[in-house]
Amino acid sequence: MQHSPQVRQSRQEHARVLQGVVLLGFGLVALGLMRLQVAQHVQYLELSKENHVRLEVLRAPRGAIFDRNGQLLADSAPSFNVVYRPFPAESLALRRLVRSDAWTRRVARALMADTAEVRRLVAGAGSGGQTVVLRRNAPFEVRAAVEETREELQGIEVVVEPLRRYAHGTLAAHLLGYAGEINDVELDSLGSQGYRPGDLIGRSGVERSYEEMLRGQDGAEFVVVNAAGQRVSTLTEGPPRLPTAGHDLILTVDLAVQQALEQAMADVQRGAAVALDPRDGSVLAMVSRPAFDPNEFSVGISFTRWRELTAGGENPLLNRAIQGMYPPGSTFKVVTMLSALENHVASPQTRLQPCFGRYQFGARSFMCWKHEGHGSLDFIGAIEHSCDVYFYQIGPRLGLDHLEETAKALGLGERTGIDLPQEKKGLIPSEAWYDRRWGAGKMPKGTLLNLAIGQGEILVTPIQLAMMLAEVAVDGQPSRPHVVREVRGVAHPKHDKQGRSRLEASAEAWSAVHEGLERVVATGTGTAAKVPGVRVAGKTGTAQNPHGKDHALFVCYAPAENPTIAISVVVENSGHGGSIAAPMARVALAELFLPDSLKHAVAARVPARAAADTSGGVSGD
Amino acid sequence: MAIKLPGRLPEIDLPLALAALGLVVVGLLMVYSATSLPGAHEGLWSKQLMWAFVALGAAWLVAAIDHRVYDSLAWPLYGVALLMLVAVLVFGSSAYGAKRWLDIGPIKFQPSELAKIATVLVLARRFDDPKVKLHRFAQWLPAMIIAFLPFALVLKEPDLGTALSFPVILIAMLYWGGMPLRQLVLGLTPVMNAGLFFFTGSGLWFGGLFVGLVVLLRPRWPALVALVLLNGAVSIATPHVWSHLHDYQKRRIETFLNPGDDPYGSGYQIIQSKIAMGSGGIAGKGYLKGSQKALAFLPMRHTDFIYSVVGEELGLIGTLTVVILYALLVLRGLRLAVVSRNRFASLVAVGIVTALFYHIMVNMLMTIGWAPVTGLPLPLISYGGTALIVNGIEIGLLQNVALRRHEF
Repeated sequence: MQHSPQVRQSRQEHARVLQGVVLLGFGLVALGLMRLQVAQHVQYLELSKENHVRLEVLRAPRGAIFDRNGQLLADSAPSFNVVYRPFPAESLALRRLVRSDAWTRRVARALMADTAEVRRLVAGAGSGGQTVVLRRNAPFEVRAAVEETREELQGIEVVVEPLRRYAHGTLAAHLLGYAGEINDVELDSLGSQGYRPGDLIGRSGVERSYEEMLRGQDGAEFVVVNAAGQRVSTLTEGPPRLPTAGHDLILTVDLAVQQALEQAMADVQRGAAVALDPRDGSVLAMVSRPAFDPNEFSVGISFTRWRELTAGGENPLLNRAIQGMYPPGSTFKVVTMLSALENHVASPQTRLQPCFGRYQFGARSFMCWKHEGHGSLDFIGAIEHSCDVYFYQIGPRLGLDHLEETAKALGLGERTGIDLPQEKKGLIPSEAWYDRRWGAGKMPKGTLLNLAIGQGEILVTPIQLAMMLAEVAVDGQPSRPHVVREVRGVAHPKHDKQGRSRLEASAEAWSAVHEGLERVVATGTGTAAKVPGVRVAGKTGTAQNPHGKDHALFVCYAPAENPTIAISVVVENSGHGGSIAAPMARVALAELFLPDSLKHAVAARVPARAAADTSGGVSGD
Repeated sequence: MAIKLPGRLPEIDLPLALAALGLVVVGLLMVYSATSLPGAHEGLWSKQLMWAFVALGAAWLVAAIDHRVYDSLAWPLYGVALLMLVAVLVFGSSAYGAKRWLDIGPIKFQPSELAKIATVLVLARRFDDPKVKLHRFAQWLPAMIIAFLPFALVLKEPDLGTALSFPVILIAMLYWGGMPLRQLVLGLTPVMNAGLFFFTGSGLWFGGLFVGLVVLLRPRWPALVALVLLNGAVSIATPHVWSHLHDYQKRRIETFLNPGDDPYGSGYQIIQSKIAMGSGGIAGKGYLKGSQKALAFLPMRHTDFIYSVVGEELGLIGTLTVVILYALLVLRGLRLAVVSRNRFASLVAVGIVTALFYHIMVNMLMTIGWAPVTGLPLPLISYGGTALIVNGIEIGLLQNVALRRHEF
């Protein structure tokens, strides 16, 4: 085979095109070089002489957060930060100076900060040439001290940057979450998303789940500084960019309801409460105790303070409303009743063995909460008075599969999918679960009796309880709970419909449950939740708990004829649901439904009044 | 009586070898200068010198082995390269928010460099096959997949700059392999379509271009119908996709396409680079005399921004000398592709030259502020072991073609 002339000629033609491209490319580079090094030489020479160019970041404020009526919950306000700006590599004397003990001590004294901390931060800045914040939101004394001793504090400056503020302190702290300075680990994984040292990043609550919307885009300007590091002028070239603020959020939360619920829960040591709208799952209020003040994190939190917050059993950073898992106690009787009616185990009128305070099952005796017994009750009466004996009898007839199915259809044992981070699932045990635990078929006989009254292995979160009752209130129409109604400037965030299928039950079953729950508050165990002029339907619960006093629970919805709110309250280790938890729900209901003149009477002295209300024998269930 | 000397040294392409050697020497001098300030990178030039010898050895070795061996090794090499790219995504070590490196014992290795050479070899092998007719549309597809796999994997790291070298190599080799320019241009219209939309925000620009191209190149009817349908689909899909993105998602794409748009990071580097180059003027400030004030905060002055050190210290004379050396290298490489009698070797030469040219362009245009900051080093000059050895292998492959240019 010969390298034929045709091949050679065709190759030469092709090569000419490629040569053209190559020459064009190098020509372009040469052109750029001549422009830069000849035409603009004088200008750049000037810049490189005794001045140098420094980049100054213009921090973008995070988006503000408002309640559903436009009341401010969180925003960013200008504040004074003390920063250190590193010197260029050729300023050898200055670079040596800032590594000296004398300089570090002077700075620490002026800033009223820890010497070791100052040294660590300054050393970190030196390597990357980045400005570091030494003290956020510096008080007046610090600023004055810095200004006075300016000459001795080389590289230290006071700048104005946005500070995250939470207008109501601890109010709704868990729902809002907090934002803190980004750490090295996060920087490494998020660097490609434009995060830089010193940026704030949402760490919990809405601040975290809506981080991408809330965070703004930092701007920057190039400034020319002299050898002493002082600003001479601003460089017009380059991409100077103004910061863009983050998107504002409008929450579904109603500040008034939140405040009422916060106040009602003021003395609660540990517990949580959720109020939401059953029509669409929008959360009106969410409280978790103990609470924390997110403002602490905005200015930077010391390690010891952090340990204080996270160590020990209290853990104020835990959002118990979505992360606390509790046995539901008698509130679960709503599930048992619905399941029994739907699976035709009993009708609303069914009367079983009368209650004499205990129920004999094989060799074991199961107690009713009311020792003197309820006598003979129908199903509606049984839920009204929360008769354990009646429900013990329902359990085995219903069977585990039916009970599990109904509980799951009401959203228990699964994350609700609320737009807050780190929600817990809880637990609805299945037959397979018991088989794993005890061995196949070895589930203890009494298990179903306990499950039917909400004791045993079942665990639920307060948000699940609120959603459970919300769905009961609207005849099983599922929705997904959410806390953000609108992100300003962004197409509406779609709260996709709940993926769960609707709990199907007959109209008869729904109305029986509704009637029973309404009677709980009217004449049953939950009278402490009564609000004049409003038909409230609810259920009390008292969950036994091996680690101390019982947990008090209460769930309700109102108005019964056209529900617009569903509430769950859990108070850890406090006593009976009817006396402790129900009055707290009443305060939120009063806030929504009563005119101002009557609200205060209801809200006043909650626990004491609650005790008085229920002193007539109904002390729980 | 004539004595026939053994060995093939006289057969190498001397201008190409000298240009490469000259660039390496420039690199060593500049790395020495860039790291001469007291600080972190002191003394790196001696390491670079060692790498330079390793690279020379690699070039020698690669040149000595008959290229038919590479022909048969192409696919296994390509497979290994893809596996390593996957490994990078899984276990790679990250820097500046991207995973690009594999740690193998004491050395860090960038598999995307190996993937480039492997892709060139595989494409050359495929186009060398006489059964492959490149004017047939259906036969583009396997070649596109060959280039697409490493492209996608490198893009995922994310390393847009290196990833784009794969389609660029593909286009050049398709053209060299015999695809008519007309088809190539028309085949690229969907890419131009989406690209122009993102840059201009309007479909009109592409509409005009498309009509112009059709009038100029006159594709046949079936091809025209296919192109119109394809571009129609792209035109409808692109704005649709764009408008359904959230602001923050758009922002992320924009930063991804143009990292220089982020003034906090790379915008700053560009400014510093321009000050260094511009202040150098025609004659420069003198070797080792660059004040480097402007570059003091530039952490990559011995790697990605080495060309700005050249500009500051040696001025336009220095920068243009480098340009001329590169032009010599690239044009000699192209000449080898023309004269080589072996089609595989010729295709390899074009692929390698394209890869080099792409890197040179992207880096140089970046240092003068005309291209985004992508993190691609300057071939043969920038500090860095992997890059220098891979460049050595590339020069070795070109010399390999030179040594056997008369063979079939």
